[in-house]
Amino acid sequence: MPVGYSLYIDSHSTLHQKIDPRTKLAGLVTSFVLALEFNDPKFLGAILGALLLIGLWAHLPFRRLMPFLIAAGWFMIVGIAIWPLYVRQGSVIFTILHRPVTTDGLLFGLAMGLRVAIMSVGAGIWMMTTAPQKLTLGLLKMGLPYRAGLAMSTTIRFIPLINAEHAMIAEAQRARALDLNTGNPFARASKSVSVIGPLFLRALALSQSLAVAMEARGMGAREQRTSIVEIELVRNDWIIMSFALLLIALGLVMRLKGIGVLVKGYL
Amino acid sequence: MANTLSVGDPIIEVRDVTYRYAGSRVNVLDQVSLTINRGDFVALIGQNGAGKTTLAKTFNGLLQPSTGDLLVDSKNTRSAGLAQLARVVGYVYQNPDHQIFAKSVREEVAFGPRNLGMSTAEVNAAVEHALDLVEMAHEADSYPFVLGRGQRQKLAVASVIAMGSPVMVVDEPTTGLDLRGALNIMNLLRRWNASGRTIIVITHDMDIVAEYASRSIVMTKGKVVADGDTRGILTNEAILTEAHLALPRITKIAQLIDARHKFPNDILTVQEFRAVLNERLLAKRRT
Repeated sequence: MPVGYSLYIDSHSTLHQKIDPRTKLAGLVTSFVLALEFNDPKFLGAILGALLLIGLWAHLPFRRLMPFLIAAGWFMIVGIAIWPLYVRQGSVIFTILHRPVTTDGLLFGLAMGLRVAIMSVGAGIWMMTTAPQKLTLGLLKMGLPYRAGLAMSTTIRFIPLINAEHAMIAEAQRARALDLNTGNPFARASKSVSVIGPLFLRALALSQSLAVAMEARGMGAREQRTSIVEIELVRNDWIIMSFALLLIALGLVMRLKGIGVLVKGYL
Repeated sequence: MANTLSVGDPIIEVRDVTYRYAGSRVNVLDQVSLTINRGDFVALIGQNGAGKTTLAKTFNGLLQPSTGDLLVDSKNTRSAGLAQLARVVGYVYQNPDHQIFAKSVREEVAFGPRNLGMSTAEVNAAVEHALDLVEMAHEADSYPFVLGRGQRQKLAVASVIAMGSPVMVVDEPTTGLDLRGALNIMNLLRRWNASGRTIIVITHDMDIVAEYASRSIVMTKGKVVADGDTRGILTNEAILTEAHLALPRITKIAQLIDARHKFPNDILTVQEFRAVLNERLLAKRRT
């Protein structure tokens, strides 16, 4: 994950400037639904490819998307390691502990990893192309109470901040000879207490000081709030949302017809 | 590891070190070379972004140079392990809350020595010694988070002292502290330095530098632009201007007086100022 104070990367791209945050949210939901509609790695790979192209079209540096892909890569490895133990369909390649490992089992594991990749890359592109204030505004326009909308966008804004705090705390403990990279999983988990403890307390202190600072500036004095940034759904947004809905419906039909489904009976 | 060294021997040698963060094209450190000796009390000064903290983080292997080499107690930081370097160079962070996590002051101080593999008896002795030195023995069983900011800062220093490292890097030790708290910490570092330990302080507070550091290293844009005796550096306006630093307030006052009354212009501390003033008054009374 990138370490910084906001995931948002300012750019003059169409996705950044011309598309309403609600439309982008609809696009994100569509990518999630499509990821769940198929379980064939070819289809899921194509969706991931399309998402990466959208990211590049939005002028996002590929290196900023890489951490999401690397994280998803770990899920692919876990998927490939676990799913063949459950999926028996397909030709047997080899056996482990008298359990057959099949081609479809391996491909299904890969597909599950691709699902996580789609979701994390989709969420990453959404956060990198939507300014925090527009994000809040979009949620408010969708009927979310102001406090809830603010809490949500603040949470998103805090992710990289907490990430930076985590890096700093881990560094401070390493300076006291704590080696977080060695030992068995149990030993590592117990070592991480010295990082998670201060991180938790820092997060609480940060949120408390933010709350006080906001109240000091009159937060909550009025229920109705004006905004310095205005957003509006225009024709292009309606076209994109209609297209997204169409994609979801098409995916559903394909799913019912068994297209893009490698293993039936599994989501 | 560092027990064979005596005061004055090199303990950190920085050789043509360049450092740039991943994905950046800017050299945060640019061909830095310097030597820090055992027993030095060094101030690393310079404006924000000058590379002071980055340089200090290479001393204990938290960062590895992009090019060049760094020897700590004659061991290259690239090949020395984390624990091996932590034994020589302790690092106190600017914000003590970045490292405090234990349920008691005693446990917090014991964390580093335990990581170094000390026996229970050694850990207990190190904790007692460190808490005595920072005058916090009476707080040994307190919950660290109920302590005030000054006390937490002292606890952070104690937790590094307990590791017995011959070098201690302290990043902005006086930030967020009132004058008494700041002087407490600095006097504590002076006592630790008097026992032959090396202290490297990263600070913007020129009054603190003038009062405590015998040597100053001035950094600008990743380069060392001056390195030497604190008095020589803090009274050299050209160097300070280049590094966007201000003269210590008492030096400035002395230099303002100097123009009219030939007051020494290399005064660094209030005590020195007072001594000169007393001398002048006595001389005047005699005449």
